[in-house]
Amino acid sequence: MGGKVTCTLGEVKNRADFIVYWGGNPAECHPRHFTKYTIMQKGKFVPEGRKGRTMVLVDIRETPSAKAADIFLQIRPGKDFEVATALRALIKSQPVDRAIVEDTGLSLERLQEIADRMKRARFGVIFFGMGVSMTRGKHMNSGAILNLTAELNAFTKFVCMPMRGHGNVTGADVVLRWTTGYPFGIDLSRGYPRFNPGEFSTVDLLVRGDNDAALILGADPGATMPQPGIDHLARIPTIVLDPKITHTSRLARVHITTAVTGVSAPGTSYRMDEIPLPLRPALQSPYPTDEDVIRRIRLAAARKPAWIPTPGAMTAIA
Amino acid sequence: MRVALTLKEPPTVPLEAETLTPDTTAVLSHDEICALPVHLGKRQRRLDDFFTVEGERSDEIEIHGDATRVKWIGRGMTRGRIVIRGAVGMHLGSAMKGGAIEVFGNVSDWLGAEMTGGVIRVHGNAGGQVGAAYRGSLSGMRDGTILIDGSAGLEVGMRMKRGIIAVGGKVRDFAGLQMKGGTIVLGGGAELRTGAWMVRGTIISLTPVELLATFAYACTYTPTFVPLIAKYLAAWGRTIPFDPREGDYQRYTGDTCVPGRGEILVWRPVKSEV
Amino acid sequence: MLRITGGKVYDPANGVDGVVKDICIADGRIVADPNGPGSPKPQSGECGRAIDATGMIVMPGGVDVHTHVAGGALNFARGLVPENQRAARKFLHAPERRAGLGGMTPTTFATGYLYAGMGWTTVNEAAMPILSARHTHEELHDIPLVDKTTLVLMANNEIVMDLLEAGDTERAQHVVAWLVWAAKAYGVKAVNPGGVAAWKWGKNANALFEPVEGYTTVTPARIISSLAAIVDELRLPHPMHLHCNNLGIPGNSATTIETMNLLDGHRAHLAHLQFHAYGGDDWGSMRSEAAHVAEAFNAHKNLTTDAGAVLFGDAVTITADGPWQHLLHQLTGRKWGNLDVENETGCGIVPYVYKDRNIVNAVQWAVGLELLLLIDDPWRVFLTTDHPNGACFWRYPEIIQLLTDVEFRKAQVKKLPAKAQQRVVLSDLDREYTLSEIAIITSAGPARSLGLSRKGHLGVGADADITIYHEKPEDGRLFTYPRYVIKSGEIVVEDGDVRAATAGREFVVHPAYDEGIEAYLRQIFPTVYTMSFENYPVEIERLRHVHIQPCV
Repeated sequence: MGGKVTCTLGEVKNRADFIVYWGGNPAECHPRHFTKYTIMQKGKFVPEGRKGRTMVLVDIRETPSAKAADIFLQIRPGKDFEVATALRALIKSQPVDRAIVEDTGLSLERLQEIADRMKRARFGVIFFGMGVSMTRGKHMNSGAILNLTAELNAFTKFVCMPMRGHGNVTGADVVLRWTTGYPFGIDLSRGYPRFNPGEFSTVDLLVRGDNDAALILGADPGATMPQPGIDHLARIPTIVLDPKITHTSRLARVHITTAVTGVSAPGTSYRMDEIPLPLRPALQSPYPTDEDVIRRIRLAAARKPAWIPTPGAMTAIA
Repeated sequence: MRVALTLKEPPTVPLEAETLTPDTTAVLSHDEICALPVHLGKRQRRLDDFFTVEGERSDEIEIHGDATRVKWIGRGMTRGRIVIRGAVGMHLGSAMKGGAIEVFGNVSDWLGAEMTGGVIRVHGNAGGQVGAAYRGSLSGMRDGTILIDGSAGLEVGMRMKRGIIAVGGKVRDFAGLQMKGGTIVLGGGAELRTGAWMVRGTIISLTPVELLATFAYACTYTPTFVPLIAKYLAAWGRTIPFDPREGDYQRYTGDTCVPGRGEILVWRPVKSEV
Repeated sequence: MLRITGGKVYDPANGVDGVVKDICIADGRIVADPNGPGSPKPQSGECGRAIDATGMIVMPGGVDVHTHVAGGALNFARGLVPENQRAARKFLHAPERRAGLGGMTPTTFATGYLYAGMGWTTVNEAAMPILSARHTHEELHDIPLVDKTTLVLMANNEIVMDLLEAGDTERAQHVVAWLVWAAKAYGVKAVNPGGVAAWKWGKNANALFEPVEGYTTVTPARIISSLAAIVDELRLPHPMHLHCNNLGIPGNSATTIETMNLLDGHRAHLAHLQFHAYGGDDWGSMRSEAAHVAEAFNAHKNLTTDAGAVLFGDAVTITADGPWQHLLHQLTGRKWGNLDVENETGCGIVPYVYKDRNIVNAVQWAVGLELLLLIDDPWRVFLTTDHPNGACFWRYPEIIQLLTDVEFRKAQVKKLPAKAQQRVVLSDLDREYTLSEIAIITSAGPARSLGLSRKGHLGVGADADITIYHEKPEDGRLFTYPRYVIKSGEIVVEDGDVRAATAGREFVVHPAYDEGIEAYLRQIFPTVYTMSFENYPVEIERLRHVHIQPCV
């Protein structure tokens, strides 16, 4: 792919005059985003604050975030890839078929206008959410926006950032990358880290029933996975660590209640721009921390015969 | 005398059998083949824990049974032949350099991924990422032939550089994604985003296919290489039309977002009297 | 006690050049030989364990003065190149060893095994932002075996630049000191001064004496001399560590020499000098200017440098020099990672391959070696490849071979394209490095430059970080597989195998600053940053096995 061009949120606050939210509803899902980091902030180089910024919302329906938008682009469901691909061509002054592009819900003129405004921005940013990354195309939709952003840098300063959600998913990504070399979807069964989304990612493993045990920490797949995946979790020995009884807990073999990270348990959280923030617990909890529980499980497992992986043909070639 | 393997029962978790190649079995005795290491999940086991083994010292392997969970068969093989009578798992023929694989059943994802030679035939359906690049790699298959009678999944031929993939049934989204060269023949149509971001290479579709706005109609003609490809595929019982009395190809170029110089040729049969 | 006996000792810091003598170790340090020189050979079992190092070479453990092994930029790179990870050396999980991957952007545990496995025992992470310093320290903690230092990025810090613009150099000094301690760093790094800040508007800073984008009096030259002066005032053990402007650009030797002139009167360390020693006007005419750069460097005795040598093969360029990386992406079409860090710095990542048929790459390969051969004082030039920019650190033995074997080196030069051979002077250079000089450029020199007085030598009181090599190794290349590596007095590697995964220490400094500066920073903090001031400084408790080095 073209790459990933991004920044920390303070750069957006201080410089961004053209802010696109694509496939997300920050007003409801990241409620302090506008006020803390983007359109409502007075930036070091955007002292006029809101007046110095243009906000574009791209979505399939009008959400409460649209109230904050200067431009609302309503595109048809499943057309994010097509819109981003067309924009990639338009910024390079390459031809785009008028009739086909209208299928996206936006006219060629409208897209051309957006392409021009992007190129004229002083500092543009695209925040993209699960409406992009979780709809048909998935990683290719994200890839389309990443590529568009990288290519806009031939004309002006442009960055993009995924709108991460759900607790410390960014932290998990960061720590897995430094310990295993990969962000997610990692297999260690051959004794060293291997990565292949679709083969080793959670939803795929569960739906195919490729695993024979599961330890779930800080997530609730019993609520979000496709039914075959949920059925599989119910069949195999499943262990859940969570402050609450979750859907997954109800079908698990073991549920261990743990302290709430950030409220009662210390640690580090990584913001969506990968800045590490210390968590200073304010309250006591009668429950052990996730870390305590995992350490104790490890100690118990260490009393069993050690598993020594053997090098094989797999380790020899790439 | 070829080596015949019969799966005793389908494994409960994936079984990784990258040691199962004609290169290996060509030089091993029966007992040595039985002792070939395979991995059931994280545990190293013997091949004969899962297969009954007949034969030895042969570069012809035949596999019987539902091997849906058996991965990496034929990895990096350079010679010989593997015939599978049943379904088979991911990464079949991955990085293959030569020889032949034939499957009478369905195959999973990553068939022939990053292969550089040899022939794979599937009399059944395939999964996604046929002949594709693994995540992040610059190129997918660099040569070789993959023939699929049935349907195939996402990202068929993703980033392929050379070689030919021919699919009889329908393919899902992103066939020919970021193609750099080579040929993909779509016999049964495609879902969305065919040829997305292609740089070079040719996609031949025997039926109308939905195109991105970044593809432009160029002309109507039948390139001179089409009969050559047709001749090549005819040896495997595949037909591609090219007779001007039967129709012609609409040529579309793209993907302009790169900008790429790939082409998609869509067969347009001559209208018959109704 | 551990006694190393019968080995040929190279300890240039103490004037020992290939002398067979015993080394005694106790409590993690080198101690005086209780038997004294000239005593009869002790029995094994006497004074604890003995290593028979007959036929072997004993050196202080390697010290890498400039590498990128931990933190946000490196971790960003890991994610950008899964294909490299797939092709990388695999480290299998074992009872005493964590799983991991080697390659160009090794995982943390593998990094420790790779460095120690090669005989290196101290590593300087050359680029750390303050905003993500917590992340860097966490990664460093997960690098076993080696001791670490870090350098905090300062030359594009807008708070500091704004103070320089206002002429408030005194306050700038207190701010720098406060920031060094907030980041729990060991020293100050300056990368492309002014250029990384300008990149936040898509621009660069190519002219030393022209104001940086958005400023009227702050020029790259002013940032360079101000920071060098501040670091000297603060008496940090390591001088300002500078990645000069115009990295990689043909003709940049002029900038480099001008920068050396600017630094008169101050200490400074010039990073990866190879990338800054080019002549020519464009890629077509690019040539080596190593001779002129080395000549100027030899005359400026206040400076140290590291080679930043290039080797043919795959690499990943990771640098805070954002604008250069965008250019490299446009030139090569390879994928591009970029991360600008508010107020402070940025980073750019582009995978790259140095090809021996490529004239520019061939010149680059020669320039690194030319600098190492033409700079006359081995105490001032150190062996690095700016890992992973020029080549991976685990290929240092290849460079050592090129420095110590002139016939081999000349044979390699003859393989270069004829056009490239005409643009370099390497074929005319006959110098061969001695083993003592190798010990200096890989250990004693960098340790001295870093101000780590207990490293890089084998005198009494030194940390017992020792590497023992076969004098005549089987594969012909010295330094690839040490026979033993000793870290803090413990044998951690034997015959290339990691035996014990100890944790290394982290060295930091606590420079003096006016306590009142915190009130100033607290007040301007919300205007430039997006987090609470309380969350900004790294808590000292985050660093395990930390040692505070004094500023004297």
